[in-house]
Amino acid sequence: MQLDRFIIDATTEVFASMVFMELVAGDVIREDRADLGTNISSMIGLAGDLKGLLSVHCPRQVALAVSGAMLGMEPEELDDDVKDAMGEIANMVAGGLKASLLEAGSNVELAIPTTVVGNSIRTSGFSGASTIIVPFSVPDGDFAVELNYVLG
Amino acid sequence: MAKNVLLVDDSSTMRKIVSRSLRQAGLDFGDIYEAGDGLEALEVLEKENVDIVLSDINMPNMNGIEFLREKSTRDGIKDIPVFMISTETGDDIIGEAKSLGAVGALKKPFTPDKVSEVLGPFM
Repeated sequence: MQLDRFIIDATTEVFASMVFMELVAGDVIREDRADLGTNISSMIGLAGDLKGLLSVHCPRQVALAVSGAMLGMEPEELDDDVKDAMGEIANMVAGGLKASLLEAGSNVELAIPTTVVGNSIRTSGFSGASTIIVPFSVPDGDFAVELNYVLG
Repeated sequence: MAKNVLLVDDSSTMRKIVSRSLRQAGLDFGDIYEAGDGLEALEVLEKENVDIVLSDINMPNMNGIEFLREKSTRDGIKDIPVFMISTETGDDIIGEAKSLGAVGALKKPFTPDKVSEVLGPFM
């Protein structure tokens, strides 16, 4: 399965439809990175044929720009509106990944997203999990979508 | 006649986006009510004059499927049409929603044009 392609397609569709912001995918990273310069991370659990955690990691300025574009406002802090918007981004990216997996013959179930705010946030999967990190660039900076997973 | 709409989604962001998309789509609607899950939605339906419900599926406390199931047992509100708006697009879960009375489904993410195309006939 081309999980990195599924993530890129899902994220691109979400940004084109709901954020109205062009993005460019960077080179995929297949190792656990200690620090992605993250100030806000939205995470959603996956269960079924693929188990794991999909996370959207954003620095502050990108989260403010993305959530502002979604909501039609100009947030100044990583407040509840920004956290909710980033959680919905993670939810829709995971939904797109789920649809691609279903077409590939794998069924997954999605949990409800959780968002945390802090400095240098790092998420890690369970023991033996594989990692895919897809970096993206938008006009206000870079962010990343990370998938920690095991198959079967 | 303009229809009153109930938006059911645990994401306040998504409720705002759907509300904005309805306006941008030029659809004729009246009051917009909001609920954060199925339980809140049932309370609104019992109190307010709602013509159509737009509901997410994955929600805490009472999800969209449980909401449809409970709503179908209540005489005063069981005939109010429900349209699902969700990242869930699998035939099994959408099929279950329709078997419980959902009249259609719209996949997230969506554009205002898609909202107009899909919801227009119901508004």
